[in-house]
Amino acid sequence: MKHRSLVVLSIVALLATVVFSASLIAGQQRSAQPAAQPAAQPRPAAATPARPATQTAAKPYVVPKTVDGQPDLQGYWGNGTYTPLERPQNVTKEFYTEEEYKTVLKTRASGEDEQTTPGTTADVHYDFTQFALDTSQSPIPLNLRTSLIIDPPNGRLPARVGAQAGAGGGRGAGPGGGGGRGAGGGAAAAPAGGGRGAAPGGGGGANNQYDSIQNMPIGSRCIIMGGSGPPLMDAGYNSVYQIVQGKDQVMIVTEMIHDVRIIPIGDRPLPPEQLKQWIGMSRGHYEGNTLVVETTNFNGRRPFQGAGQNLRITERFTRVADDKIDYTFTATDETTWVSPWTASVPLTKEKGPIFEFACHETNYGPANILAGARATEKAAADAARK
Amino acid sequence: MRNRLVGLVVLTAVLATALSAQAPATYRAPRTKDGKPDLNGIWQAINTANWNIEAHSPEPGPMFQLGAAYAVPGGFGIVEGGPIPYKPEALAKRQENYKNRLTQDPEIKCYLPGVPRAMYQPFPFQIVQSPKHIMMSFEFAGALRTIYMADQTPAPADSWMGWSNGKWEGETLVIDTTGFNGMPWFDKAGNYASDTLHIVERITPRSAETLNYEATIEDPAVFTRSWKISFPLYRRIEKNLQLTEFRCVEYSEEIIYGHLRKPGTGPAPTR
Amino acid sequence: MKATRLKLAAIATIVALLGAVPVWAHHAFAAEFDVNKPVTLKGTMTKWDMVNPHSWFHVDVKGPDGKVVEWMVEGGSPNTLIRLGVTKYTIKPGTELTVEGYQAKEGSNKAVGRNFILPDGTRLFLSLSGAVPGGAPDK
Repeated sequence: MKHRSLVVLSIVALLATVVFSASLIAGQQRSAQPAAQPAAQPRPAAATPARPATQTAAKPYVVPKTVDGQPDLQGYWGNGTYTPLERPQNVTKEFYTEEEYKTVLKTRASGEDEQTTPGTTADVHYDFTQFALDTSQSPIPLNLRTSLIIDPPNGRLPARVGAQAGAGGGRGAGPGGGGGRGAGGGAAAAPAGGGRGAAPGGGGGANNQYDSIQNMPIGSRCIIMGGSGPPLMDAGYNSVYQIVQGKDQVMIVTEMIHDVRIIPIGDRPLPPEQLKQWIGMSRGHYEGNTLVVETTNFNGRRPFQGAGQNLRITERFTRVADDKIDYTFTATDETTWVSPWTASVPLTKEKGPIFEFACHETNYGPANILAGARATEKAAADAARK
Repeated sequence: MRNRLVGLVVLTAVLATALSAQAPATYRAPRTKDGKPDLNGIWQAINTANWNIEAHSPEPGPMFQLGAAYAVPGGFGIVEGGPIPYKPEALAKRQENYKNRLTQDPEIKCYLPGVPRAMYQPFPFQIVQSPKHIMMSFEFAGALRTIYMADQTPAPADSWMGWSNGKWEGETLVIDTTGFNGMPWFDKAGNYASDTLHIVERITPRSAETLNYEATIEDPAVFTRSWKISFPLYRRIEKNLQLTEFRCVEYSEEIIYGHLRKPGTGPAPTR
Repeated sequence: MKATRLKLAAIATIVALLGAVPVWAHHAFAAEFDVNKPVTLKGTMTKWDMVNPHSWFHVDVKGPDGKVVEWMVEGGSPNTLIRLGVTKYTIKPGTELTVEGYQAKEGSNKAVGRNFILPDGTRLFLSLSGAVPGGAPDK
């Protein structure tokens, strides 16, 4: 990252230059490096792997304090990850070895680096790597875990209430099978209520998704996206947060869609139950060096692993290194899962800034999609008439 | 006797001079732990600026069906010293905005309100203050302003809420904002600026529960000179108050996308 | 070269990985742009709208009849590039650009840009983000 910034600054200085010269960069092939070190220089890994099997003695990290004497969590943080929410079906252990982890990273990064095939659906998209939006170009904390879920111990979601045995893990496996990275993020970005086309108030299956804007996925409509907590899950890209601590309020800004959580610190009554929100309502307090945040009052419309209005989330933020926050959350919903479950989603230091992600304002995509669907229907109707 | 009279006159004169020359006592706000005036809290404007920042008479709203409940209240305005100094062609554009406000007001479409409009929309906003960043979070459309107090850079690109660099001058937070995209309006009446808008705000605590807000506005593409607005901001003092979501995208979708709906389908019922 | 060698083996990985990015983003593009209408646009970029959720490049393209047509081409969010130091001044208006992509389903002069290529053959922004050095995209 540092090397890249230096390169970038020198390029920006050459404002008169129209053509970018490849010789300005050190010639490091990205896919030749483990994805955690995309720049020419290896970036130092986070202090220690999350709960490793063995741990060498290290000088204990002293958590800095804010001006108000609270544990300092401030700054820009990212949670982009290749670690799936649920443990892949063919994996039984809790931790990869460092070698295995590096292989996972390398495979994923080189996959992101690959060109898609012209004439395929996958090719109908801008290239993520050109916009530095592929995960391998974000800082990824060293995380040897085989799943983000740390409880239940099998690393998978608990069974759904009322579901048959074994069906509980299905939803969380995410698109792309057991390796689905950010399955929490992907699923959370999926349309409300389950099936892709299912929409509140109308529409039906996937076939009706482009009948109207209201049938389209919540994220496409720029209402809310997968990175907005609680809990904080990989948004897929731009998964960056800014934490600002005032004297008795903690603000967490989610980059997409400039989503703001303001968490009052201290003793407060529970919010009135009639007030329900997409991101619920939070209360926070400090326990030693840990910020604990309890959230209730969800309106149940933000897709989160099938949960509804009874969802409660408890988050714990602990700064364990200058560049790492140990972030865990426990999700409880007795009407959705047979037991609460807990995940660990480390936050790693990111470069700022968070530029305004004004989404709805310049959201031309859905208008183009709807217009395209109408044009296709009209063409089909005209052809049928002949 | 005469000396005493002269002495009394002189004393009166001196006192009168002293009293009139004496500036009103400047309020000194409580300090944050890093020694700055503490602006933390929930604030809100109470005026009709969001209808029209200039002085204006009451008038019907743009939809007769909404009757008196959504008509325009009169107001003294927040613009100092007369009407906004538009260039002639810019004034014509403002009039056109006004005529088409029902379809053109970005607020109706739940677009980010920009600055200064966010500061006087009829919604509370919250300031969360830290040494390096002063954040302003607005209920309307979840708008956010980041005031960079350190590591300051120019605007990397244009945005709805602009790019703000701030500094303290004694009791006053001075905010310099550029990088606007020219899309927001100043009010429902169609007052506007372009992407060369430059705003300098001065926010000064005037009492435990009020702030003085003033802004100098300049845009050489639209106005013949710079001009000022000013109004108080009031602290929302209710116990345990929090901002609530106003995710208004859904309220604007039928307006924006309704014409692209599949023929034969009706608008989805509101939830 | 590397891409060709790994292409077959990587397709499954790509599909899995594309499943791992927000579902709405991926599928929506194939509904917005037509896989059967590939386009190659050679022209002059007049503006890069650094907006979200997707940025848009305005490109003036001279047709075979000599008439200049403005195309709007969809690209990615600029937010991570901004963290890497890209600003509204980075690409100058007037930059020659070749865009390989697909045209909008509703038939207008809109496209998604699969590749944005500068006159020297490098792909836009990749020299900032640590690309395979030099050379045209391997397709």
